[in-house]
Amino acid sequence: MYPAEFAYLRPPDLDGLYTALAQHGDGAKLIAGGQSLLPMMKLRLATPDVVVDIGGARELRGQWRTEQGVRIGAATTYRELQRSPRTLALLPGLAGALEVIADQQVRARGTVGGALAHADPTADLPAILLALDASVDLHSRQAERRLALSDFITGVFATDLRDDEVLTAVEASEPPEGSGGAYTKFEQPASHFALCGVAAVLTVEAGTVRRARVAMTGVTAMPSRLSNVERALTGCRADPAALSESATVASEGIEPLGDLHAPPEYRRHLLEVATRDAVRTAAARAGVRWSA
Amino acid sequence: MDPAANGTDVTVDLKVNGRHETRTVPARTLLVHFVRDRLGLTGTHVGCDTTQCGACTVEVDGVAVKSCTMLAAQAGGCEITTIEGVAPGDGDGLDPVQQAFWDEHGLQCGFCTPGMVMAIRQLLRDTPVPTNDEIRHGISGNLCRCTGYQNIVAAARSAARTSTGTRRSSRADPSATSTAPAGEVS
Repeated sequence: MYPAEFAYLRPPDLDGLYTALAQHGDGAKLIAGGQSLLPMMKLRLATPDVVVDIGGARELRGQWRTEQGVRIGAATTYRELQRSPRTLALLPGLAGALEVIADQQVRARGTVGGALAHADPTADLPAILLALDASVDLHSRQAERRLALSDFITGVFATDLRDDEVLTAVEASEPPEGSGGAYTKFEQPASHFALCGVAAVLTVEAGTVRRARVAMTGVTAMPSRLSNVERALTGCRADPAALSESATVASEGIEPLGDLHAPPEYRRHLLEVATRDAVRTAAARAGVRWSA
Repeated sequence: MDPAANGTDVTVDLKVNGRHETRTVPARTLLVHFVRDRLGLTGTHVGCDTTQCGACTVEVDGVAVKSCTMLAAQAGGCEITTIEGVAPGDGDGLDPVQQAFWDEHGLQCGFCTPGMVMAIRQLLRDTPVPTNDEIRHGISGNLCRCTGYQNIVAAARSAARTSTGTRRSSRADPSATSTAPAGEVS
């Protein structure tokens, strides 16, 4: 399969990206690792006139410690993140999520910014980043703005990114001391996409859950926080029974999608199972000890 | 390539198995087609063509990637290693991973084998002494419809035994160095 014909540009910096976007408008599409865009182009689901490679723009690479947490350049690959122990130490749950994204070859090319801009409803990364209170930086030549990740993703493959904007970075927040994180996923075995994935970041103090961030992916049109579960967890004793109980409200008010891999009822079931596993694992990693 | 180019052709300049290669191709040319059709290196296979089977795996700057899901243009300036380039010396010998596939009968029809070899080379660079679970996780982006994977896992184990410590230092992967990768949080 070949993509439809296009012109290829690789500007040397962020300013060059703005120029290319200004020149070609909505006929232009930014490409990073291409692990999502190229398959769509090969299927002719995307047929841009101009493909603008962000690979030359060094401004989009790197990781920076911030007051809030870690700012990660949009062009950072999953593989680079996996090999960044200091970032992983600050962001509980991220390492485990990265490990189960696609496969090692895809992780070597796929980027953080690409995954978020693509907004695949079954992608893993948005779930853990939602649980880490992430926001995205969107830059155009004229302006810059920051959006909470939950406001940035607006639907199936849909975001608030404008035609003249570049997603330059994502900032994930370091949770308070005493936090642990986990990501539990049930995947489609060939594509490795999530039939259901749940990320949990819990802060536990003296045996009580003080703060909970729980988010899901793969179940509905877009990844989102599970506020029912978060409410059930906050203030609850961090013992296995209470943690498991919180998962029973996971699918309240949620209408899971169905496809040939998993009908809605199955996804509903997976959501509860994955939530239970993720919150229990996150609590254990936050330092909770209980006898089997 | 020329960033000012506005047509649909691009000139791709890269190194493949140590040799400099320059070709002008349509921008939509995928790396796997560049390698097979333009350079005649047909050891890299096109299997599923959908980023799932891994038969097209090659190394770009020392890191295994799926060449059906990368534009040749994106590989401009990079060093590519294909299955034809892994054997030591003048190509008469075998890479330790290839030898291990021979020893352990790690292939039947052989279609997935070039990609499996490239994937396992990557696995062993990252994890020189992998567990069986780590091996299976490492090759989860490669599909084999013949072997049931048992002998492929055995081959990876065998290659790990013979190559531990001898194949890690000469790689181009900048993130494989023992110091922190460029740009990491400090």
